[in-house]
Amino acid sequence: LTTSELVDHFFRHEYGRLVATLSRRVGVKHVEAIEDAVQGALMTALQSWTTAGLPDSPSAWLFRVANNRLLDELRQQNRRQGLLREHSQGPEADSDGDLGPFSEEELAQDLLEMLFVCCDEAIPVESQLALALKTLCGFDVREIGARLFITEANVYKRLTRARQRLRERPDLAENLEGKRYSSRLPSVHKILYLLFTEGYLSSHAETAIRRELCDEAIRLTSILAADRVGKNPETSALLALMHLHSARLLARQDGSGGLLLLEEQDRALWDQGEIQTGLQWLARSAEGDVFTRYHAEAAVAAEHCLAASFQETRWEKVVQSYSLLEQMAPSALHRLNRAVAVAEWQGPAAGLAVLDGLEPPTWLAGSYMWSAVLADLHKRCGNAEIAGNYHRIANEQAPTPAVKELLERRHKRSLVATA
Amino acid sequence: MGYRRRQASFKYTNVMSKYLCMQRSLPGGENEKPSPAQMQEMYAQFGAWQEKFADNLVDMGGRLGEGKLVTSGASDGPFVEVKELIGGYMIVAAKSLDEAVEVAQACPGLVRPGSGVEVIEIHGP
Repeated sequence: LTTSELVDHFFRHEYGRLVATLSRRVGVKHVEAIEDAVQGALMTALQSWTTAGLPDSPSAWLFRVANNRLLDELRQQNRRQGLLREHSQGPEADSDGDLGPFSEEELAQDLLEMLFVCCDEAIPVESQLALALKTLCGFDVREIGARLFITEANVYKRLTRARQRLRERPDLAENLEGKRYSSRLPSVHKILYLLFTEGYLSSHAETAIRRELCDEAIRLTSILAADRVGKNPETSALLALMHLHSARLLARQDGSGGLLLLEEQDRALWDQGEIQTGLQWLARSAEGDVFTRYHAEAAVAAEHCLAASFQETRWEKVVQSYSLLEQMAPSALHRLNRAVAVAEWQGPAAGLAVLDGLEPPTWLAGSYMWSAVLADLHKRCGNAEIAGNYHRIANEQAPTPAVKELLERRHKRSLVATA
Repeated sequence: MGYRRRQASFKYTNVMSKYLCMQRSLPGGENEKPSPAQMQEMYAQFGAWQEKFADNLVDMGGRLGEGKLVTSGASDGPFVEVKELIGGYMIVAAKSLDEAVEVAQACPGLVRPGSGVEVIEIHGP
């Protein structure tokens, strides 16, 4: 007897499904008991399946065990608190029935509801993100800390805040009807976007770990895009941008984990399947008359994906999209990106002109990106001394050796270009 | 004489004996709960271990639950409950105690802080 293969991320994804399904059944205010029951069920599964082999339907098996554990725990809690009446008709009533395999639609619905719960406006955004990673993606505190570059204590703090809010809130279903449901869509988009960028823009050395976050974001956004209420142009645009970025994720690093500039990347490594999927979602995102920041960002990504080479990029289109992005989501970072694109289109002086009079906010001035772009543009304009200063600052601010190396290479390259 | 002895040792190294492996909880090392991702990894490691030692794994046994000590009544108790000491058991076949130990030691998650395994030969009939 040997153990059979389980699909990738089976335990993690089952964790998410079970927490979502049980939350819908007994109420998200019990989320801590639910998570304990699910963790316990997975441990039992690990022990049982490795000795007795896989059951016919692992998911149904897990649900049964988790459900029983949870009901036991809730009964004990009730007994302790003398509040038996509260649950006399609730979870116990359906404890025996309806344990068959679930339909994909039901599971998707459960996951979606949990996602909407995570995006409760009363929960601070950083706590929303931690909660989604914990409950929907099945990462534990240590893993979340490693992915968000925060301490475990900080993760605990964020989760505690979120759970506090969940304990206070009434049950889900009534809150997620119609209008309230769609009014929370923007925060849902924001969390999914954040989840994706945590992976895509992360300075984490391991591509696999970054890929994982991107895949989780795509998985959840795809469920949203298949839903009656979640299906809208904005969701399509978000999914388009995720696929179009994801297509280029691998090519952003060289063989030894060093970062590569866009112009250095081997475009043959870009995932054409992902690009096609991204373009299909981009087309779908145009059905309707809304244009959101996700549309603008997806448009930029599409331009890069469609260009045969760095030189052949339609920079005027990229500039146009960045301008729109700036209008919709004013940010100095978007201006900075536009300056880079303008420099490629109309020359470095034009690029610098875009930044004229812009006082960068401290978070941007303190990041290597601002100084690195200015160093590059000044260097290409022939202002060697100013460029040298900015380069030094950028170097000091580089968060990782990989970024530092990239900056060094970039600086040397522009020296050659002006020579 | 020498020939016979060689034959005897030949026999000794080729006949599989059965060994009882009992997982014992050890003091210290209150182990952290594994995350779902780690569980998946453990599951895979376990599969690889089972495949590698397929010939040795006679009975995967299981975890032990509630129990009761039955005595003639004239005992000096109190006895430590067995389930507090022994979490689970399995039976492996091996040519020697050393080989049985090797199989048990390679079992993922069995030997770690807070858990060890006792390997005991079962004398056949």
